[in-house]
Amino acid sequence: MQLKNDTSYINYIIAALLLILFFYSCDHGIEPRAPESSGFSGTISFITPWPDSVKRSFLVVFENPLLEPTDFTIENLKFLSREIPLGAQSHEFSSLDSAYIPPDPGPFSSGSYAYVAVVQQSTENLSLARKDWFVSGVYYTNGDTTKPGTMVIPESTFVKNINIKVDFNNPPPQPPGGN
Amino acid sequence: MKIIFKNIFSGTKLLFVFIILIEGNSLAQTYSITGKVVDANLIPLQGVNVVLLNTYFGSATDENGNYEINKIPLGSYTVEFSAIGYERIRKENIIITDESISLDVILKGIAITSEEVLITAGKYEQKKSDLPVSSEIVYGNIFSERNFSNLEDAIRFVPGVVMTEDQVSIRGSSGYSRGTGSRALLAIDGLPFYTGDTGEIVWEMIPATELQRVEIIKGAASSLYGSSAIGGVINAITRNISDEPKTIVNGFYGVYDKPYYNEWDWSGERRPFNGLTLSHSNKLSDFGFNLSFTRLEDLGYKQDDDFKKYIGFLKTVYNFTPSSSLTFLANTFNKRAGNFLYWKNSRNALVPPDQNLGDRIETNRYLFGLIYKNLIVNKFLLNIKTSYYRNYFKDNETNPNESTSNLYRGEVQLNTNLNDFLILTGGVEGSYSKVNSSLFGNPDAFSIGLYLVSDINFNFPLIVSVGLRYDYSKLDSLNGSGAVSPKIGLNYKLYDNLILRSSLGTGFRAPTLSEAFTSTSTAGITVKPNPNIKSENNLTVEFGVNYTPFTFLNLDLALFQSEYYDMIEPGIDPSDGLVFFSNVVRARIQGYETSFVIGILPEQLSLSLSYTYLWARDIEKDEALKYRPRHIFYSSLDFRKWNFELGINFRYTSKVEEIDEELVDLGIVVDGDLRVPVYTTDIKLGYDLEYFQLPMSLYLNAKNIFNYNYVELLGNLRQIRSYSFGFYLTI
Repeated sequence: MQLKNDTSYINYIIAALLLILFFYSCDHGIEPRAPESSGFSGTISFITPWPDSVKRSFLVVFENPLLEPTDFTIENLKFLSREIPLGAQSHEFSSLDSAYIPPDPGPFSSGSYAYVAVVQQSTENLSLARKDWFVSGVYYTNGDTTKPGTMVIPESTFVKNINIKVDFNNPPPQPPGGN
Repeated sequence: MKIIFKNIFSGTKLLFVFIILIEGNSLAQTYSITGKVVDANLIPLQGVNVVLLNTYFGSATDENGNYEINKIPLGSYTVEFSAIGYERIRKENIIITDESISLDVILKGIAITSEEVLITAGKYEQKKSDLPVSSEIVYGNIFSERNFSNLEDAIRFVPGVVMTEDQVSIRGSSGYSRGTGSRALLAIDGLPFYTGDTGEIVWEMIPATELQRVEIIKGAASSLYGSSAIGGVINAITRNISDEPKTIVNGFYGVYDKPYYNEWDWSGERRPFNGLTLSHSNKLSDFGFNLSFTRLEDLGYKQDDDFKKYIGFLKTVYNFTPSSSLTFLANTFNKRAGNFLYWKNSRNALVPPDQNLGDRIETNRYLFGLIYKNLIVNKFLLNIKTSYYRNYFKDNETNPNESTSNLYRGEVQLNTNLNDFLILTGGVEGSYSKVNSSLFGNPDAFSIGLYLVSDINFNFPLIVSVGLRYDYSKLDSLNGSGAVSPKIGLNYKLYDNLILRSSLGTGFRAPTLSEAFTSTSTAGITVKPNPNIKSENNLTVEFGVNYTPFTFLNLDLALFQSEYYDMIEPGIDPSDGLVFFSNVVRARIQGYETSFVIGILPEQLSLSLSYTYLWARDIEKDEALKYRPRHIFYSSLDFRKWNFELGINFRYTSKVEEIDEELVDLGIVVDGDLRVPVYTTDIKLGYDLEYFQLPMSLYLNAKNIFNYNYVELLGNLRQIRSYSFGFYLTI
């Protein structure tokens, strides 16, 4: 191989490298992302069969903890989903879904929500009375099942994997004010 | 065991007694070969490898071109001088009768050769061209030339090696495990350098300016090094002690540029960084030392990512006789730093989440080592190494995380060249670690290993390397486990310029105390212990060819495959949502690696290119392993003339396919899914003031010159564009 040929070959390599440098110099990699709508989503897993007595079931989100019967108020209830299909083994939900509360789907306010749960009712009609609600599953964080977990939604962040297990045979402790 | 290690200093006294006893039996007379190597212009050459062929004696020249090979028995030798870019010279029939000799040579420059010497692959000096495995060498001069104050900065440019923040991955061996465990073993002068609690590599503790070179062995090396060497070995070799009093002052000052996007400019200023090293070396009769002190300060381009570091280093060597010596190493490290874990979000990419503002951490680490060498009856080289490594860190949380670990190691190794064709290397090593920690509890662990490797040199010319190692390790109350690690390697020189190599090796890694016992919650991430964790294993196969068709061109190709069993990876336990380490992955890593080194203009202009393709899969889930890029490309263009040098380095890794998505989904790392391919370009300018008769070099560095924004780990923007000025003064 002639040395002249070798150097011309190398010149091509250098030219190609410089070309790559030129093209990528226009690209600045990661850029700030436009603010995302805040909200949440997750999956409810029903690990035991549904009792026949259950007439309807919902996902509920309370902003403040339910420590007293008086904490169960419509002002504290920030999310009340539409009915979960009866008999479902798994149900995916999102704050962008149509819901009773809030009435219009859209961004869900960022912040901390102290009580996220799956509730069931046995009344014939939808009731907002505490005595008609029975909690069948609660959202926990960090594996701590001794107390309800807090759902944290950072600003402009859509939080996923808010997952809840429902065991109808082994319901969680009930908030005060029930039957 | 505990009693023995609690009395480590008593043990050290015993070692001295043992040494003295051995001294009494070491009566063989030995000699040395010294000399100077210069180029055609009589300028001293640094880093020239000088070896006595068919022995394990060898050395490299210092910055003044001087070399010294000690403890050579009587005999006739062939001395070989080689360096990249210079013609190889062999001096045959050098006869040592009754006195040491001096041998000076002039090396004629050519574009390139591939003759380099490593001591890491077989735990004794071997030519790179004789090895059955892929290897790389990083020379110490780049740390000052490119203002690298941290060894990991240099490792980032080694072909086939990828860093994810401070965790190293050799050919895809590792992802990111939050500072826990390592699938590459780091050693300093052959002393393993991992912490007793997390088993992690603390790169920043290594005194970069004290390094002569860094050797990297790719692929499983557990047959010699045991646990942690499952993916490879990185050995940092410190500088030889100077024969004449020598003082080095190395300093730099630089600033980070403003971030590319104005909304990221949290400080409103260009953040500065600086460093200064003072180093002195001297030899007094049979005693010599290297002593250095380094101070590094960085105000950080990220908020709460500032640091001040102080690194102390002492290396002393005492020659009892020409054939025996005792080396003492001390490496101390103190750091006070912000504790930036991840960004607030992509619009606030250089500031931490509000709840983590003001998080800080203080670290104190100490390594002490003793290395005793003795050539016994001209045939056996005894190597005894002991070390003590203490780590302490504490953060400023309301309930502070605080941890102390103590790691004690010892190794006895024997090399023998029974004849010109066979070199045997065998040894036994043990370690004990004790931890007191709010994160890991108070567990202890111990391990012991036995190894034997034989290198057989046939005339055809074929070199066969066969080895076997057995390790037993036990973590506190967990069941102990053993591992057998065999290897076989072949090196065949088809022609002088065409070398084939092949190796099959096994590796294993015992879980670290932190992988088994961590229990903590920080910044929204909760980690739980796993008492059922067990060792991981792998099998690595490699075929390689090295071809030098012309003196100015070297090509290397390697095909490799690693099978991992019971691979330990962090993950989320679906039953409770907690992070834990478990043996969940059956993984396969395949790929190939090519490198080209081209001397475009002899001694003036060179270009090196390397490309690695990695296919790293979790074959149970049929998805890519986390934090492994599929394509890795590095290139460098270097020009040197008239005391002037210019270097351009370019690095590309493709966008990683898998990351810790759970941390993104749960909103812990907001916008953590943002990641891009990595493109970085650095430029270096250097000038040697030799023309003005000043023993000083000046350097200007611009890093990430296109201010490209990328992450290696989710939510952690890597260094933005920076400029620095440095100097290297030798007195």
